[in-house]
Amino acid sequence: MTLVYAFALAIGLFVVAPYLAHRLRRRRAEERDFAPARLVPLAPPRARSRARIEDRALLATRLSAILALALLGASPLVRCSRLSLARASGGSVAMAIVLDDSMSMRAKLGATTRFERAREGARQLLSSTRDGDAVAILLAGSPARVALAATADLSAARAAVEGIQESDRGTDLDASLVMARGLLADLPQVDRRIVVLSDLADGHPDAPPVGEGSTVPVWIPLPELRGAVSDCAILAADRSGGEVRARIVCSPEASTKGRQVALVSGGRVLAHAALPESRSAEVSLGLSLDDVKRTEGQGSLSVQLSGTDAIVSDDVAPVVVKAGPRPVAVVADPTDGAPATGGIPVVEQALAALGLEITVRPIPAIPDRGEDLGLFLGVIVDDPKGFTPEQRRALGAFVEDGGFVLLALGPRAASAPLGASLEPILRHTTTWDPTSSPGVNPEGASGAFAEAAAGGIDLDAKKRAVIAPEDLRAIGPLLSWTDGAPLFARRTLGRGEAWIVTLPFAIDASDLLLRPLFLTLLDAWTTESKARASPRRTAVGTMWSFPGAHTLEVLGPSGALPVSREGASPSVAPEAIGLYTIAVDGKTESRVAAPVESEIDMRPRRASSSAGGEGLGDAHAAVDASPAVALALLVLMALEMALRLRARARAEAA
Amino acid sequence: MPSNSAFRSALDWGSLAPLRLRARLVAEGVYAGAHRSARRGAGVEFGGHRAYSPGDDLRWLDRRSLLLHDRLLVRQFETETDRALRLVVDATASMGYRGAGAPGAKLAWAALVAAALARIAIGSGDPVGLTYLGGRVGSAGVPGSGGREAFERVVGSLEAASAEGDAHADLRILDRTLGALARSARRGSIVVILSDLLDLPDAAADRVAAIASRGRIVVVTQVLAPDEVEFPFGGTVRLRSLEGGLVVETDAEATRERYKERLAKLTGDWERVLTARGARFVRAVTSADPVKVVREIAQAAR
Repeated sequence: MTLVYAFALAIGLFVVAPYLAHRLRRRRAEERDFAPARLVPLAPPRARSRARIEDRALLATRLSAILALALLGASPLVRCSRLSLARASGGSVAMAIVLDDSMSMRAKLGATTRFERAREGARQLLSSTRDGDAVAILLAGSPARVALAATADLSAARAAVEGIQESDRGTDLDASLVMARGLLADLPQVDRRIVVLSDLADGHPDAPPVGEGSTVPVWIPLPELRGAVSDCAILAADRSGGEVRARIVCSPEASTKGRQVALVSGGRVLAHAALPESRSAEVSLGLSLDDVKRTEGQGSLSVQLSGTDAIVSDDVAPVVVKAGPRPVAVVADPTDGAPATGGIPVVEQALAALGLEITVRPIPAIPDRGEDLGLFLGVIVDDPKGFTPEQRRALGAFVEDGGFVLLALGPRAASAPLGASLEPILRHTTTWDPTSSPGVNPEGASGAFAEAAAGGIDLDAKKRAVIAPEDLRAIGPLLSWTDGAPLFARRTLGRGEAWIVTLPFAIDASDLLLRPLFLTLLDAWTTESKARASPRRTAVGTMWSFPGAHTLEVLGPSGALPVSREGASPSVAPEAIGLYTIAVDGKTESRVAAPVESEIDMRPRRASSSAGGEGLGDAHAAVDASPAVALALLVLMALEMALRLRARARAEAA
Repeated sequence: MPSNSAFRSALDWGSLAPLRLRARLVAEGVYAGAHRSARRGAGVEFGGHRAYSPGDDLRWLDRRSLLLHDRLLVRQFETETDRALRLVVDATASMGYRGAGAPGAKLAWAALVAAALARIAIGSGDPVGLTYLGGRVGSAGVPGSGGREAFERVVGSLEAASAEGDAHADLRILDRTLGALARSARRGSIVVILSDLLDLPDAAADRVAAIASRGRIVVVTQVLAPDEVEFPFGGTVRLRSLEGGLVVETDAEATRERYKERLAKLTGDWERVLTARGARFVRAVTSADPVKVVREIAQAAR
């Protein structure tokens, strides 16, 4: 503090002068003798109160004027607690602001949240930029995203900061730093820096310090964001019959003493239990038979944590009816599909061998009802003798709603009885004809088969299924024979797909089952079908895609979500944990976005020793507020004159 | 340390002291030569009519006026006989007020006028008596007497006067003074009352007017300080009455006119009651020249 600074502020002490004068003037009038006091009337109350108000207005104006005068003297030296850029070379600066919008940033920080404080820091940084600077804004919530590519349009940067919302995503600091460096790489400014506005709590407190080894200087201000807090969250709540199991995780510092886990329906507590004193726990809550019946088919069940912690939103979770990974149905003739040594069909063995973490369920025939098919992730049909009308209807509905079918064509499919057909996958019958093709053509193989196609060059098959030319126009080949006929093909039907193989899954028909190409086929088909069928609960921030969907509406805890139509299929990314109602082509389903476990660990990562901001910026900026204060002083002086003139006019009128 | 009452009773003489000297100067300024008797009453020369008051000598009741106008009037005559002067000085607490622009307290100014009147009367050979309204307990005034010693006694009594007593709260003060005056004042005597009339009881005007009977001439002189007439205060003031302990907080500018109206009404009421009974009423401000006021009183007493 310089002498001038102290002297200027000392002027502020004179603020007591008008106050004392006011007190002296406003104090009780001194009594004086007056013989005819009995004849003196009392003053009208209105006049007395008016005088009091005028006095106070004048007093407030004078006090403010003196304070403004003191500030005016000291304003060039006033230092505010706000972020600002430093310019070592005095030139323009390229800055990437990494704003953490993960769930841990929802933690309370005084009267606000960590996220709001970080956003305020971003505003302050932007206010210290000037023309010629370039700014990029990235979001560190998982997955890391670019909120604003590097631009010199500072107003756009301010608008982008205002548009960023809190979310319950996980944290991906490293990816956001990599992206930030990429955005700054091509900018012409020599002075570059990355500013990280984050609590650094990404679930890996022992990971290398943030910003260490970065080629671009990293500044991590706002240490108050990294204070110790504790939180408990319900990661999952699954219901199986009359039992609800809730999985709860707490941060290492959290105290679970006295907290309860309650099962709530419509504001009524159905069951409750004490929260175990461990960092990760699973709590079982029983439902009575009456409650089971009452809540059957309702989506109102939720599990709640009592007490308070740093983040409130993760203390409640909707209950999801427990359903494991949906199985894959296999319809195969055990006599043809099984190897000669006996055992289960080869396709089932292959699926088990791949270790795809799916359940294979052999069924004798395609079910007649669509509901029965809806239980499966996909259906593998090996050389069927056509489909009955009921099967066709069920299969059509299944595929239209996003189901996956793998249809292997063989001699039986070519000899379908009267009334049976391969619709809705193929409109026309196929034939089982001899082939002269020596194998597959690896040149035209699609992505998944590009490597494995080479293994089918000498595919040995005496005969193959031939698809009618009309159907060929509707399908897209994945892998073809050398003569151009498809070996693997796909056809999109509604939101689902049918993959077609022109060889049956039988050892006698070809050696396809003995080649890696067959495993590649099963792997690709299974992966694709799993990608289409999203489970009911995913981590928040995971993209939900709806390939083939025409209309999509998603209603989340905070209202309707914007649907992204980039690419071939519409998709949404749930930003907040909770229950979502999704309407896809008129059909409604529910999904749950659950917290990311790593976000509950609120311990921050260390910041690199060079992230203190020396030479990059300052958290205590000197702000020249002289123009604003001088203007305020002028206004106050004008106001004081107006008040005095009015008081004089009233006195003369009286 | 003196008590509050001690401060109150210390009369503020201001520039009016010494009373004896000032009274002579005032008296010399007044025409005090041979004069026609201002006393009306039994005599040979008709002096006019006045309204009848109970106690008047029925011999002077004008029967002709009664028959012609159905009004009770008393005939008055001028006489050449000596006239007794009875001075009544209000010495209640309110008379201790001086205010800005006044040469002294109202009581001091009234004492000066009273002393000057006594000097004039004694110079004319008329006896002079002095009575107080209120004042220090035990100050009985001066009985009616003539000669040089009478003036000295009157002046000595006035110099020792102090403003004390609350006539508004203590009705006995008024009764005691007026009762004694009615008994002792002879027919044809002149009664001069010097008072501010501010804190007297409501019935005081009637009681004073009743003295103006039996040929007595009553001249009531209202003595007010300039502040009491002009009400020159500004802003918010807290005013304490000298009698009754009343405290009033008010905005001076906002209430000045209403105060003057009330004061004018009080004065008007007194004047109306007194003149209806044959008494005279004189207004005086302590900033005024006492010579003129004494002359005005003398003229009113004729």
